[in-house]
Amino acid sequence: MKSALTWEVLAKCSTTKARASILTLPHGPVNTPVFMPVGTQGTLKGITPDQIEGLGCQIMLNNTYHLGLRPGQELLDVCGGAHVFQGWNRNLLTDSGGFQMVSLLKLAEITEQGVQFESPHDGSLMLLTPEHSMSLQNSIGADIMMQLDDVVSSLTTGPRVEEAMWRSIRWLDRCIKAHKKPESQNLFAIIQGGLDPELRKKCIEEMVKRDTPGYAIGGLSGGEEKDKFWRVVTLCTDLMPRTKPIYCMGVGYAEDLVVCVALGVDMFDCVFPTRTARFGNALTATGTLCLRQAKFKDDFRPIEEGCDCITCKSYTRAYLYTVVTKETVGCHLISIHNTAYQLRLMRQVGDSIIEDRFPQFIHKFFKDLFVEKSAYPEWAVNALRSVNIDLLKE
Amino acid sequence: MSPIKFEIHSSIREPNSNARTGTLSIVKASQPDQDAVKRVIETPGCFMFSIKGSVPHLTPDNMRLQDFGGVNVSLEQLLQMDQPASFASKWPSKSFTLADYLYLKDLILLCDMRDYSSLSSSLTPKTSQQDPHTQRISPNTDRHVNLSTLRGARPLTLDDYLSVVRQFRPDIMVALADNIVESSSRNNESKTEVDVKKEKNDGSRGKADEKRIRKSIDRTLKWLDQILLERQGRDGRIEDRRIEEEKKRKKEKEKIRQARKQEHGQQEQQGEEEVPVEIPEIETEPWEDVALFAHVQGGQFEEERIRSAEETSKREGVNGFIIDLGVYSNGDNSKEERLAHLKTSVDHLPAQKPRMVYGIQTPEDVLKVVALGVDLFDTSYPFILTEEGKASMYSFGPNSTSDETNNNNRWINLWDDEHGDKFVPILESCECYSCKGGKHTRAYINHLLKTHEMLATVLLMSHNLYQYSKFFSAVREAIKTGTLDQYTQDFERQFGVEPVRTGEKHKAQIVVEEALTKRNQRLEPTEPAVVDAIGSGDGDGQSFKRPDDDGGENEKEKKKQKKDSSEQSNP
Repeated sequence: MKSALTWEVLAKCSTTKARASILTLPHGPVNTPVFMPVGTQGTLKGITPDQIEGLGCQIMLNNTYHLGLRPGQELLDVCGGAHVFQGWNRNLLTDSGGFQMVSLLKLAEITEQGVQFESPHDGSLMLLTPEHSMSLQNSIGADIMMQLDDVVSSLTTGPRVEEAMWRSIRWLDRCIKAHKKPESQNLFAIIQGGLDPELRKKCIEEMVKRDTPGYAIGGLSGGEEKDKFWRVVTLCTDLMPRTKPIYCMGVGYAEDLVVCVALGVDMFDCVFPTRTARFGNALTATGTLCLRQAKFKDDFRPIEEGCDCITCKSYTRAYLYTVVTKETVGCHLISIHNTAYQLRLMRQVGDSIIEDRFPQFIHKFFKDLFVEKSAYPEWAVNALRSVNIDLLKE
Repeated sequence: MSPIKFEIHSSIREPNSNARTGTLSIVKASQPDQDAVKRVIETPGCFMFSIKGSVPHLTPDNMRLQDFGGVNVSLEQLLQMDQPASFASKWPSKSFTLADYLYLKDLILLCDMRDYSSLSSSLTPKTSQQDPHTQRISPNTDRHVNLSTLRGARPLTLDDYLSVVRQFRPDIMVALADNIVESSSRNNESKTEVDVKKEKNDGSRGKADEKRIRKSIDRTLKWLDQILLERQGRDGRIEDRRIEEEKKRKKEKEKIRQARKQEHGQQEQQGEEEVPVEIPEIETEPWEDVALFAHVQGGQFEEERIRSAEETSKREGVNGFIIDLGVYSNGDNSKEERLAHLKTSVDHLPAQKPRMVYGIQTPEDVLKVVALGVDLFDTSYPFILTEEGKASMYSFGPNSTSDETNNNNRWINLWDDEHGDKFVPILESCECYSCKGGKHTRAYINHLLKTHEMLATVLLMSHNLYQYSKFFSAVREAIKTGTLDQYTQDFERQFGVEPVRTGEKHKAQIVVEEALTKRNQRLEPTEPAVVDAIGSGDGDGQSFKRPDDDGGENEKEKKKQKKDSSEQSNP
């Protein structure tokens, strides 16, 4: 199908499956591997568009499901889409609304026609079909739009998983048909199939035939064992065409990002950095600081030495201790730092791939974060071993 | 030499006006690591109202897009109940000051004890319900004032004050003062119907009596003298210590006498001589680089107001004055009475020093108080508008033309549904962060409010602060050109007066909040602790409780939060 992007691989890691590329979208270039912050309702948790741009963010997420409820399709059409609406001139990606199914399953009914949701605002019922999702996303005008998929929890087993996989393929066809602006918006397919390698294989085979501009690995990050998670990821990247961007949905912990890049993933999103910020948790290369704890009362260091975000340039941990979870400014400040941290991490990963020292970067990253080898997560050790990196060997 | 410089540029002699323009600037030698920026507040002008040293909703970069030259902070928000007043002694070095701690070195920093801009209810009397700070705080004593910290009331003694100022070293410190905030709220709690009736009849509701007012002025002046001595590096507490020592000796003597009486059964022995108590002076560390502002008080009693103003003026070391509006809490005085009180104080202060009043707020009130000759204000008004979802539309001076589209509204409320499809900035031609280039529209802010997103208050605060600074700049211009009175009348004709604040929430806000509560109960009935931990009013309740938009990581996160919040409650 038509594509509104270009994909240029700048460098490939000589050890792992990692690669550094430039993804050029209608609203400018995106250096990958990339972490995409999530601005669910058309805003990134109190951070202004100028501030987000200042952090070097090239692409942000919005949520179709939420924007469809508010401000609603009609207003989006009137004002000319979500970019204009929120004053964001760089790229946007919208999810289809399908992911909400996993968590709202009890409240949603899925039929061949679509997904019936309960509105989070007033509890009324709302039907989301592939056609409706496409129409909404066309109105939103995101640079990348996701197909509506039938998401089942990654903990689900049995025939429901296969049903969801086949339905997702059928819905992809309906999405492609309903997509009105393939020349200016890129539709990504979402690979389903749970934790079953055979189903994943079948799904990829079918979806690759549809030749969408990019592919996402869906149906993960739902609480499954990490050792199963990475195996699905690496299976998918092995089978997907290497000429297109690969997006792993809902992944945001630093170690997950680094491992998944090594497994060949290019794009990530997660609300974790901004969500955890509002609880006063600041991310650093040596772990998370829970700034609500009294031990930071007299700690006059910035959150992270060398961080160039406005928070670290302005305030000490001691000051932040007094405002986190209490003042909106406290939320903004930690959200800014955490977003800066995630974006910087991915820039460092990209640079190390280009300079072909990604393996060394990984070793240092794990040492900084976990200190002792005994503390390294076993799944990460296994995953990296599969791409020729032995974390436990110096 | 005074650490601040106050220059009066022009004062107009229109009938009934003492308005003047000037600049308040810092002449303190800049520290080596400090940028050589001259820090100035043009007057009449404002210190930016802050909560814990942050301008509400604005990160330091966004705050610096504003045009005010200073920030005022209150000690009670910085000092926790469980912290010793010397908590700052844990700061990294002697040269690390409050301005470093709050990242405010490029602005003029004023530190007072309490958050008077919220305490005082502007010129317009307010119910005590709207004044949470005034509730349940006990009266000050000869030894300390009471502060209302985040975790409850705590006393602050003169010793505490001095150790704080020696470490904080703000540009301007306000002297410890016995301001009366407790009287009426205490009364309210134990009030009977008869009391209320009686008060209604004799007009005494919420007013402190003259004796209490006199006492407060005496205390404030005594502390002021002690503080002035200490600032010069002299022992300001020697007299306190001498009195204490005398008491102690008397007690001891009495003890001995009693003991002897029991032993010998003798009558009191004569001939014991009174030895004068000699207390050595303690050398103290001067802090003459800190300017000192003093509260000028007197409640509703003219004579006391004059006494406070005159006595405070006599103290040469005082660099500026903060004039108290009257009885802070629940004062029943009318606006006219309060203005008359202010005028009495201002008229008895030296012209060459700056005068500040907290909590004047609305533009028309500012205009009246500027005309009395007051120079400095705070920005609690834009903050209050922001919290209510309102965006400023008023303007002042020659460029203030009637705009039919705005219906001469002083503000619009962006909670109103009518803004939902208005893809225009709050105010065309406004140069604030929010409006500039039409980047953020009324429809977008309406959306942000209705989705409980924190960016709403960021944009509103940016706009409202910006408009307030523009207003002040127009006021200065009018004073310079002798048109203050004319434009004041124009303003009142065009915008009327601020409606009385009811404290009621907008209909749409109530709907949104109820829906959120309901949904949160539906989705996550078991997680109230997490929700509570965030507190209220940050407009982001939704995202704390939503399980559906966190990429599936919420389980882990929830567990973490649970653990963390239990840690927090049992430190």
